[in-house]
Amino acid sequence: MIELNDYLILSGLLFTIGLVGVLRRKNLLMLFFATEVMLNAANIAFAATSHYYNDLSGQMFAFFIIAVAASEVAVGLGLLIVLYKRHGTLDLDNLASMKG
Amino acid sequence: MEKFVYIALFAPFVSSIFAALFGMSPKKTFVGVIASLLLATSFLASALLAMFVYQTGGTIHVTMMDWIGAGDLSIPFGFVVDQISVTMMTVVTLVSTVVHIYSIGYMDHDKSFNRFFSYLSAFVFSMMVLVMSDNFAGLFIGWEGVGVCSWLLIGFWYHKEDVSPEENPSISPSWAANEAFIVNRIADLAMLVGIFVLYWNTGSLQYDVVFANLPYLNQTVLTTAAIALFIGAMGKSAQFPLHTWLTDAMEGPTPVSALIHAATMVTAGVFLVIRANPLYSMPEVGEVSYFIAALGTFVAFFAASMALVNRDLKRIIAYSTLSQLGYMFAAAGLGAYWIALFHLAAHAFFKALLFLGAGNVMHAMDDELDIFKMGGLKKSMRWTYIYMGVASLALAGIPPLAGFFSKDAIIETAFNEGTIVLWAILVVTAGMTAFYSFRQVFLTFEGDERYKEFGIHPHEMYKYVLVAMSPLALLAVIAGFFQGGFQTFITSGDVMPNYAMSEHTHHLVWILGSIVLAFAVGGVLLARYKYASGLKREMKCENSFIYQLLKNQYYVPQFYAEFISKPYAMISEKMWKTVDMKIIDITVDGIAKFIYSSGDDTRKMQTGNLSNYLNWMSFGLVALLIVAAISSVIG
Amino acid sequence: MDNILSVLVFFPAVAGLLGFVVDKNSIRVYGISVATVEMLLAVWLWMSFDGTNAGMQFVESIPLVPDFGISYYLGVDGISIFIVIMAALMTLLGMIGMSVEKDIKNMIISLLFLEMTMIGVFVSLDAIIFYLFWELSLVPMLYIIGAWGGPLRIYASIKFFLYTFTGSLIMLVGMLFMAHLYHGVSDGIWSFSITDWYMMVLPVNYQIWLFLAFFIGFAIKVPMFPFHTWLPYAHGQAPTIGSVILAAVLLKMGTYGFVRFSLPLFPDASVMMIEPIMVISIIMIIYAAMVAYAQEDIKQVIAYSSVSHMGVIVLGTFAMNAEAISGSIFLMLSHGIVSGALFMLVGVIYDRRHTKLMSEFGGLASVMPKYAVIFGIMLMASVGLPLTIGFVGEFLVLLGFYKVSAIGAILAGSTIVLGAVYMLTLYKRTFFGPVTNDENKKLFDLNGREMVSLVPLVIIVIWLGVYPKPILTPIDNSVKAMLSFMEDKARTPEAKERIIVSSITKEAK
Repeated sequence: MIELNDYLILSGLLFTIGLVGVLRRKNLLMLFFATEVMLNAANIAFAATSHYYNDLSGQMFAFFIIAVAASEVAVGLGLLIVLYKRHGTLDLDNLASMKG
Repeated sequence: MEKFVYIALFAPFVSSIFAALFGMSPKKTFVGVIASLLLATSFLASALLAMFVYQTGGTIHVTMMDWIGAGDLSIPFGFVVDQISVTMMTVVTLVSTVVHIYSIGYMDHDKSFNRFFSYLSAFVFSMMVLVMSDNFAGLFIGWEGVGVCSWLLIGFWYHKEDVSPEENPSISPSWAANEAFIVNRIADLAMLVGIFVLYWNTGSLQYDVVFANLPYLNQTVLTTAAIALFIGAMGKSAQFPLHTWLTDAMEGPTPVSALIHAATMVTAGVFLVIRANPLYSMPEVGEVSYFIAALGTFVAFFAASMALVNRDLKRIIAYSTLSQLGYMFAAAGLGAYWIALFHLAAHAFFKALLFLGAGNVMHAMDDELDIFKMGGLKKSMRWTYIYMGVASLALAGIPPLAGFFSKDAIIETAFNEGTIVLWAILVVTAGMTAFYSFRQVFLTFEGDERYKEFGIHPHEMYKYVLVAMSPLALLAVIAGFFQGGFQTFITSGDVMPNYAMSEHTHHLVWILGSIVLAFAVGGVLLARYKYASGLKREMKCENSFIYQLLKNQYYVPQFYAEFISKPYAMISEKMWKTVDMKIIDITVDGIAKFIYSSGDDTRKMQTGNLSNYLNWMSFGLVALLIVAAISSVIG
Repeated sequence: MDNILSVLVFFPAVAGLLGFVVDKNSIRVYGISVATVEMLLAVWLWMSFDGTNAGMQFVESIPLVPDFGISYYLGVDGISIFIVIMAALMTLLGMIGMSVEKDIKNMIISLLFLEMTMIGVFVSLDAIIFYLFWELSLVPMLYIIGAWGGPLRIYASIKFFLYTFTGSLIMLVGMLFMAHLYHGVSDGIWSFSITDWYMMVLPVNYQIWLFLAFFIGFAIKVPMFPFHTWLPYAHGQAPTIGSVILAAVLLKMGTYGFVRFSLPLFPDASVMMIEPIMVISIIMIIYAAMVAYAQEDIKQVIAYSSVSHMGVIVLGTFAMNAEAISGSIFLMLSHGIVSGALFMLVGVIYDRRHTKLMSEFGGLASVMPKYAVIFGIMLMASVGLPLTIGFVGEFLVLLGFYKVSAIGAILAGSTIVLGAVYMLTLYKRTFFGPVTNDENKKLFDLNGREMVSLVPLVIIVIWLGVYPKPILTPIDNSVKAMLSFMEDKARTPEAKERIIVSSITKEAK
């Protein structure tokens, strides 16, 4: 039998993978993927706990996140394309126009 | 009678305002004439009031309006005419009227003629407020008023340049004016303290209420009030150590000196002690009163000693005023208030005369003041010689002139009180007074005509000026005869305690009088022997230590300059440039700079690298989670 | 006119906004007319003010944020009304005497806006509204110093702004905490109304902390030693009109705050703080007087003399008896009039010579007699000569403080000596002596415009010196009521003992 804990561990592992990706990757596109991984980790946790408590709001939230993630990807990728066109790179070490 | 009170008080005020209207226009003789007439009106009103008080023995008390009211304090503009104030009013207005008339002639060529009369009348008005007020706050109005008028008048020739103290000990009129004002202010502070003490312990500043409450006060309060008020009096009456301004005040036009020394200003201190006689008569403050007498005696001697060697015509007279004020304080301190007041009045007449005479001499000598450069002036200035001679005789205490009676009474009082040391000093001082007065008279009017080598052509003063001076001369001669009558009059009310000599002293009165007279005559004769035939300078004597000490006023002005003025300026400079600019402001700016630089330093975190930001963010997240975990475990 | 206070507050601001459409050449006339109308309104307020009533009058109250108890709540009593009138008067006279030509339109509009904030501060009875006006007053002043000032104007204006702003933020925290406490004691009702706060009796330890929070805000504004260093810079760099308003009105906000907030809200803490404040005030009086003596610039002398005089005002405020507190409020008015006039006078000479250094002058009394006379009168008022406005307040403060501490009063009383020292030195160096500088020989005396702005002040200085009663009595009534109220509210026996209710009030009870 797969317990709630197992789902949560999976979610935690996925989240860590995503976090490491966010921290270590230098390419903006990769950062995006890593963020998606983190979001999905959260989705798993939501869906699992929702089932566990028999409360649908968790799954609703998961759908909501999926919707937000989708729109975010749509906008974000558009921005990335513009950024790439302008700078010719998506490497974060070369994109520091906000340096204080 | 009330209207006479207001006339006496406000006629000088009207005169001042009237003259001020023409303050910036060129000389107009009628301004002086009208001012003098208004002053004469004031004198007449005062004289009428004096008659009224004399005949009925009653006092007049008027309250014009409220001035300050806050909390439980209520100060009205109230005026009282009683034996003390009416005496002062009459003396002040009489002398002032003469001085006003005199000034028409003396200030003849001055372009600020009108302005001068405005100040002069304001001066008299302040003095009238001072003597007539029925409360301490009103007295203080006049007190400060004479201060500011003296500032205006001493600095009347403000356009003169500062010179070094060696050249002229008073540096410049404006310097002397500031000195007078500031020194007086120091004393005024003490006076204010005295007022505060009396207010918080009696609940009022009205003389009658305060004096009625005195018996219920404890010794500390009484002593504090007595000391504080006396320090106030010391400033106005230029008692040691606040005396330096008085001689420097000679920078003002001579009529001003006459006014300051005879009628207004310096007598205010004596007046205060006389007015507050219920306080000073309290047995609890006996030591303060004795101190007043001792200080007065000391100043009498101290000032007379400096007058012995001075070469400046007006300064000699100024020292003599200082010395005579010492006599008055001696009498007041010993409890003989009416004698002090009598000497004040008599002194006012001959001192004004002396100064006006000195003014005539200055007028004749093109403002030369060094008596070593004069001599033999009696030929061209006969009337002035007579006037100054009479005044000097009165000052020296030669009978039957006014000074003899009043000064002799003071010396007798010192004997009567058993204060033999004071008595002895006062007697010696009487001899010194006679000597320096006649040294001055002889050097100025007798002997060889030393002025000739300076190309000066002396001339007598205008006739009307000489005529105007005659009442003073007359009074200087006869005022002494009224001693008995004055005593009866002044002590008839309840504002002034009587003072009479004991039986014992009464028996000795002839002997005592003869001793004083011997000293006085001796002084005159010595002066005649040394100076009547001409100036013989003895360089050995002039170079001696004592001569130099006296000539430099015991180095008191130098001491003040070195140990008060200069350190004050230096500390002020340090306060500004070091404490304010360096310490305080740098600290404030330092805090601002610290905040700015800490922002500047932490700005480096803002690398612009998204990766870095994310690292920081997750670091922060973890840190917060740890904090939350720890706090949940602890809490 | 029930809402006269709202009219007084907002009329200048609305007129200022309309000023944007007024032609540049007629803006000065426009500004002066607006200020005159405002002044007349203020006089009307005075005429209809009931001097025997010690409480708040012309009260207006409109809830703004009822959930948090913030309301538009205005009112005047004897303590504030005359400061309001003085603010209107000084704005008017300052505007008449103003010689600014550059960007005159902006200047007039800033002044009118400033007038709104100044009057707003003194009539607000709601802490938030008070705070709002308090902070808003910084903005036009910042602009006036920063745009028309001397060479260091940016530094000076930013220093002025940040310094006072920091202080008032701490005060704001205090206000919020007060409201929180009120919320606690009144069953969950919020209120920022000062009169509501008055009713609240606070534990002594809270009082002390709150007192300190308010104190910082007020002390920097006053400015009290050692927070005073912004003032010489602000005055040194500000144009004449800026200095006039700053010295006459803005500084009074701090001392007014002590009377309006610190004393009645925290009577026990105020009594406990008497000694420390006495020490600071005395240092302030003597130290600033000495620094003033060392100055070379006429304007700086007057700036430091302000610090010295403000020390006397603060001292009087904490004497806890009616004599001194009334005197202190009267001294606020007299200092406003006199220092305002002195700054105008310095402006006169600065317009002519473009320097304020004493060494450049000397002998001006010969060339500019009228100027010398008016300067002399103001000087005498500044050193507290009887029968001028300066004496009444100073005398009452020292008299009242003598009850608290004899030594303190004597040390503070040194102001009459030291004040004379620096003012007379200033006068001697500037006006006396021969005219040594050729440029001074052809100076012309006061012109009509300057006379119009200065003569009314001379009249006030003498009128209120001779007959201060019309102003002193209403002040005194309100102060007596406040003291009696403080005594009722005080908890510690020490405070009960040291707050002195005048015997007249006691009898009335």
